[in-house]
Amino acid sequence: MIEVNSLSKHFKDVVAVDNISFKVEEGKVFGLLGENGAGKTTTLRMLATMLKPTTGTANIGGYDLIQEPADVRGEIGILFGGETGLYDRLSARENIEYFGLLNGMTKEDINIQIEKLSHSLEMKDYVERRVGKFSKGMKQKVALARSIVHNPSIMFFDEPTSGLDVTAVRIVHKFIKELKSEGKTIIFSSHSMNEVEKLCDEVGIIHKGKMIEVSTLEGLKEKFKEENLEEIFISLVGEKNE
Amino acid sequence: MNKFTKIVFKKEMMDTFRDKKTIFSSIIIPIIIFPLIAFVIGLGSSDMVKESKEPVQIALLSEENNELEMFLKSNNNVNIIKTKDYRKSLDKLDVKVVVKIGEDFDEKIKNGEKPEISLIYDDTSQKSEMAKSRIEQIILSYTNHIVVRRLENEGINPQILEPVDIKSSSVSKEGGTGLLLFSMLLPFMLTVWSAVGGIPAATDLGAGEKERQTLEPLLTTKANRMSILMGKYFTVVLAGIIATIASLIGFLIATKINPEFLGESATLSIKSIVIITLVCLEMALAFSSIELAISFYARNFKEAQTYLSPVSILLMVPAYLTMFVDGRAVPEYYFHIPIINTIGIIKEVIVSVYDFKHILITTGWNLVYIALFLIVTVKMFEKETVIFRN
Repeated sequence: MIEVNSLSKHFKDVVAVDNISFKVEEGKVFGLLGENGAGKTTTLRMLATMLKPTTGTANIGGYDLIQEPADVRGEIGILFGGETGLYDRLSARENIEYFGLLNGMTKEDINIQIEKLSHSLEMKDYVERRVGKFSKGMKQKVALARSIVHNPSIMFFDEPTSGLDVTAVRIVHKFIKELKSEGKTIIFSSHSMNEVEKLCDEVGIIHKGKMIEVSTLEGLKEKFKEENLEEIFISLVGEKNE
Repeated sequence: MNKFTKIVFKKEMMDTFRDKKTIFSSIIIPIIIFPLIAFVIGLGSSDMVKESKEPVQIALLSEENNELEMFLKSNNNVNIIKTKDYRKSLDKLDVKVVVKIGEDFDEKIKNGEKPEISLIYDDTSQKSEMAKSRIEQIILSYTNHIVVRRLENEGINPQILEPVDIKSSSVSKEGGTGLLLFSMLLPFMLTVWSAVGGIPAATDLGAGEKERQTLEPLLTTKANRMSILMGKYFTVVLAGIIATIASLIGFLIATKINPEFLGESATLSIKSIVIITLVCLEMALAFSSIELAISFYARNFKEAQTYLSPVSILLMVPAYLTMFVDGRAVPEYYFHIPIINTIGIIKEVIVSVYDFKHILITTGWNLVYIALFLIVTVKMFEKETVIFRN
């Protein structure tokens, strides 16, 4: 479970995230929807302990974000951005193993996980090869395996499909659905309504650092008497822009 | 080293030394640079050495037969070339110098007058210049012969011209001119490489990590930031040490290719090597952290390279300034100046001066810099505005 309480982040005079609160139940996918620069990445960076909140805190998997950041890190897996972020000179196995070791796993456990993941992500043929010459889709699979190798209970995805082709996008979507079926709690940021509609149980709409709406997809549609999420988003954000 | 630092260190070493760019700049370049210099110097100097061993090619302009002409013709170190246009021959360097003997040479010598000898040469050519000096020496030996003859005719012992007997001998245990060159080049090279040898690795481990977008997942693992930073730091230090060793190997190969590069007898004792290793390690420890800090500050690889190149230039200044400082007379205050103190210590031990007070002062200062730079680097790595600058 994730419970965010009055989280804010200021960069000098700029308020990037302004007093946001929301809750994600265990096993649910929460979509953080917002325009570029709305504060999605900053929120996820704070939840992933990379940035220190200016005020507020969060409870992540039973650990306090401010008091127990190391324990929080043990509970989470992240995939930030569409670009995969791998070490080109290491093999797929070495890339995954490195993050497993840094999450305190033993080599034996890592090998079992790599075996399992390379089977489920269909990357057995190239797991021993260096990733430098991989296609985008192949790299994406390795990055997904890397983010989940330590079997975290919570996953943060920050626009994981931006810049990817259709095939790679499908890989990511399938992966998120599988994680959900395994009961993992997920926060997924995107500016694509379609994606959020496809994957999320609940949506938080963030605009200029403020959480302007938190609801289930059905709840939103009912409240705004509108079936199209994009229309709902525009009417919400449009109102705030005026 | 804690568990996570070891994991980061092991991975970074593997990653760094799979990088062709790093291998090229940290190992291959330092290994080939000195043999290349030695080879080029060797090529140039062996040509000059060859020239100096062969007879001097001269053209002789003389109105009549005379004693000097006979003397030159009979001298094995002189080769008289017949030429129609001596200026053209001199231009082409077929002859290196033209010797013009004035009129009535023998007559004038006999009468105690001063006959004229003109040497025509090309001062823009090193070979012609060298030939001029050699022929001057040869003519001088002829004129000495005349002086001796004249003194003997007057009943004076020619020894009168040498009132003192000068004998020179060097107190240097080994070396000589080779050691002088050795003490100029080695401190410069060792100090520079141990300080800048880690730059390629530092660029990749900081800015490279940002550019690849691998820093974010790394910061969300169980490993704390200090362990990650230390793992990277030790990698940069080791890369610096490997580059220094590579340059030393290059140095040794250079002396094999061209022994005159440094002098055959330039050797180092075990004690000297231990002291040099200590001060070089201190340099690598101090500079690696500052290089890593700069690299983490940079937004990307290119920016890191731009920021890091002045570090090498910054180092060259004290290295050049101290190039000609004598290892036996390094001023005391030098040991309080960063970089210069390390060069000073290496200069001393090369000429077998082991001043432990100097070593202690230098090490003390270096430890202060290491601590200071490490604190700055840790602070930088913890600063959000640095890590997420882009």
